Amino acid sequence: MSGDERYVLEGFAVPEELGRVHDLLGRVSADHPEVDPTDLMLFETAVMEIAGNVVEHGLPPGEVRWRLAVRVTGEQIEADLRDTGHEFSADFGKPMPGVDAESGRGLPLASAVLDQLELARVDEGNHWRLARHLRP
Amino acid sequence: MEFQELDRDGHVVLAPHGRLNLVSAPPLRARIGDLIADGRTRIVVDLGAVESVDSSGLGALIGCLKAAREHGGDLRIAAAGEQVRAVLRLTNLDRILAPYDSAEEAGREW
Repeated sequence: MSGDERYVLEGFAVPEELGRVHDLLGRVSADHPEVDPTDLMLFETAVMEIAGNVVEHGLPPGEVRWRLAVRVTGEQIEADLRDTGHEFSADFGKPMPGVDAESGRGLPLASAVLDQLELARVDEGNHWRLARHLRP
Repeated sequence: MEFQELDRDGHVVLAPHGRLNLVSAPPLRARIGDLIADGRTRIVVDLGAVESVDSSGLGALIGCLKAAREHGGDLRIAAAGEQVRAVLRLTNLDRILAPYDSAEEAGREW
């Protein structure tokens, strides 16, 4: 991600760190009153899903580190999440599961609220890119 | 997650607070499972103090809803905030988990 990265978090991808992810997004929200709160709320929902996915499925458990950078531009809000876990393969085209399902909603939910969701394998890590366009 | 629990006549109201996610959903689910095992199968989850829910939280609510119904009861949710309502809509779960406006309303006919 280029430009000023004013919001960055680094650490282990463990459940206890999810609160810090939430706090980081809270700072983004507080600093950007011009951004529609609904855009921020839905973007945060997606980031928490992807972060939760890394925490839950990242291998080896408890040893994965991550670095999250969030940026607001005039056009969009974007997040860049790099984790050191084993290669993760995600199917972003997977449909939303039926109402009886107890799992499998995370990635479809994130996809539904983002304009961009990508995952690439870069430098022995997973590189997630998330963006939501800001409505004028 | 700590949650308040109110034993009403005919049903139990559970009121979690904060974020209902992969950290907090398992204890809520375990507690509701215990209640159902004890025959308390009419459950209201008051979401008034829940600021957000993720897919783990949704999975827990669905699991508990199914368990309650399998035992002749039901699970209702109440006082869902904007994020929770949006997520229910996006996942189509509002079809089976339509939020009541308040815990009182959710338990009124129980």
